[in-house]
Amino acid sequence: MSRAGTAVCLVIGVAFGFFLTGSGLGDYHTIHDGLLLQDPYIYLMLASSVGVATLGVLALERRGRTVLEGPLALPRHPVRRGTILGSTVFGVGFAVGATCPGITVAMIATGNVYGAVVLVGIFAGLWLRGRHETGSR
Amino acid sequence: MLHVIPHQLPWWVAGPGVGACVVLMYGLVNAKLGVSGGWLQLLRRASGEPMTEPWRAWFNGGLVVGAVLAAVLGAGAALHGYGRLSDLLGPPLLAPVALLAGVAMGYGARWAGGCTSGHGLSGCAARSRESLAATATFFSVAVGVTLLLHVATGGTL
Repeated sequence: MSRAGTAVCLVIGVAFGFFLTGSGLGDYHTIHDGLLLQDPYIYLMLASSVGVATLGVLALERRGRTVLEGPLALPRHPVRRGTILGSTVFGVGFAVGATCPGITVAMIATGNVYGAVVLVGIFAGLWLRGRHETGSR
Repeated sequence: MLHVIPHQLPWWVAGPGVGACVVLMYGLVNAKLGVSGGWLQLLRRASGEPMTEPWRAWFNGGLVVGAVLAAVLGAGAALHGYGRLSDLLGPPLLAPVALLAGVAMGYGARWAGGCTSGHGLSGCAARSRESLAATATFFSVAVGVTLLLHVATGGTL
């Protein structure tokens, strides 16, 4: 990716981090109460974000080109065995931690120091999966 | 801290805001927004390998800045524990449980090819079958496990 493109990613990252943290998802109870089916916030947020993004993607597909990086290429993949098994393992961590790889940053920024422990775990998990993948090749 | 923004942005602000980030990533730089991939790039860097997609690491760098910005403009960062998980477990147990929750997320995300952002937001918005299946799976599992723990702990969790 070009330097300009990388700078764009940095700026969009700032906006993304701002909305994730401003939404209060970094607070344990926001996601936990959602997964307990007691607070609809996370589902409303997810549905509205995917809704807006889906409409945006449809518009981009009509245009067919991106501003800085050529013709639009959307990531579309078939379901693999690992998709389901990996997502199951992910879902257990998601439930226990009531957080996810991006939200851990919101946790730390808003004062839950254990978010840093979760983030270290995420790095360890990514590394461990990489080891298993090279091992099985 | 500054209380410029409310403690919790309404979902109809935060949701579309996050959705717009996904669209901008696709439309401007042809890239799938996803946070786990950024951590993976940093892991490669830390292991002495070259980053294959350095822009992902920059995106995550921005994410950190944006999170701090929201904390400063909003409720601020008062040090606190881990919600009801802190009530259930004392500090000696809480740290390993938090670590293992992270390990499960990192391991699972790499295996599944994405997490809540890469699959849940970007992939679902692109109507990718894999992402729709992944999102349905991790949300169902997370709701199931949460309800199970709720019952098993007598309602503490």
